[in-house]
Amino acid sequence: MSGVAVILFQLGARVYAAPAAGVLRVALPRGVAAGETSLGRPFLAARTLVADVGGEEAALEVDQVLGLRTVAPGDLHPLPPVAEGMLGSRALSGTALLDGIPTPVVDLPVLLEERRRARTGGERSGDA
Amino acid sequence: MAEPRRAPGPGPAHGEQWLFCVRVGGSRYAFDAGLVTEVVRVGPLTRLPAAPPFLPGVFAHRGEVLAVLDLARLLGPRPVAMGASTRAAVVRAGPWHLALVADAVEGLSAVSSVEPPPAEGGEAAPWLTAVAEDEAGPMGVLDLPGLVASARARSGVP
Repeated sequence: MSGVAVILFQLGARVYAAPAAGVLRVALPRGVAAGETSLGRPFLAARTLVADVGGEEAALEVDQVLGLRTVAPGDLHPLPPVAEGMLGSRALSGTALLDGIPTPVVDLPVLLEERRRARTGGERSGDA
Repeated sequence: MAEPRRAPGPGPAHGEQWLFCVRVGGSRYAFDAGLVTEVVRVGPLTRLPAAPPFLPGVFAHRGEVLAVLDLARLLGPRPVAMGASTRAAVVRAGPWHLALVADAVEGLSAVSSVEPPPAEGGEAAPWLTAVAEDEAGPMGVLDLPGLVASARARSGVP
């Protein structure tokens, strides 16, 4: 069956999907908090999703990984154009209709790159 | 919530125009009825990360994922109290297709005349194009495409 494989994960009170092609592996947290992203903070940070960001590995802490699903092409939707320009993050690539409910699809490398830039900007301004 | 009023006849009488009325707090607002494609019950809402307060989420409707804009939050600090029975007007505002929620959706109203907006239009002043009145009272006529464009301009990634 054709479709896009996505990893479903829970972070805080919400469920998201990330294209499996952008995830290197699921791992245990390393013990040092990686920092918040535009998805917010996890409750427990029991797992991490590891991705390649500009040639380096970076990890997103999540509460749990819910599994892998294949989403039919017809169930993948871009962001509504009116919303696309309103969000404070470019990491959202669209939504996947799972059981009829839109689930945000997160571009994991973009999300982690945004966090890295925000952290770098904070360090430059002496906020770290 | 009461059912929205329906058009009583085949179309507006000569000199009349159809407006679509909503209520935000204690005020009535209206916009060109031609922008409205349907009134629907808002389905399960999914919040988008990093969304502004006036974008409470998206929902699936007729195979499309629609963004919901909160008119109360666009015009002021207090959001619409959304629940299972909340109705939204699905509109085409300029190039945008979206669902608009307010404290109450009143429906269609035929008005025969409009007046210039008052000098003090309150929080809605930048988007008020006129004021009109029907049997239910006065209403501020909004430039809905302009309001949505303005919302986009003041949010998002800088």
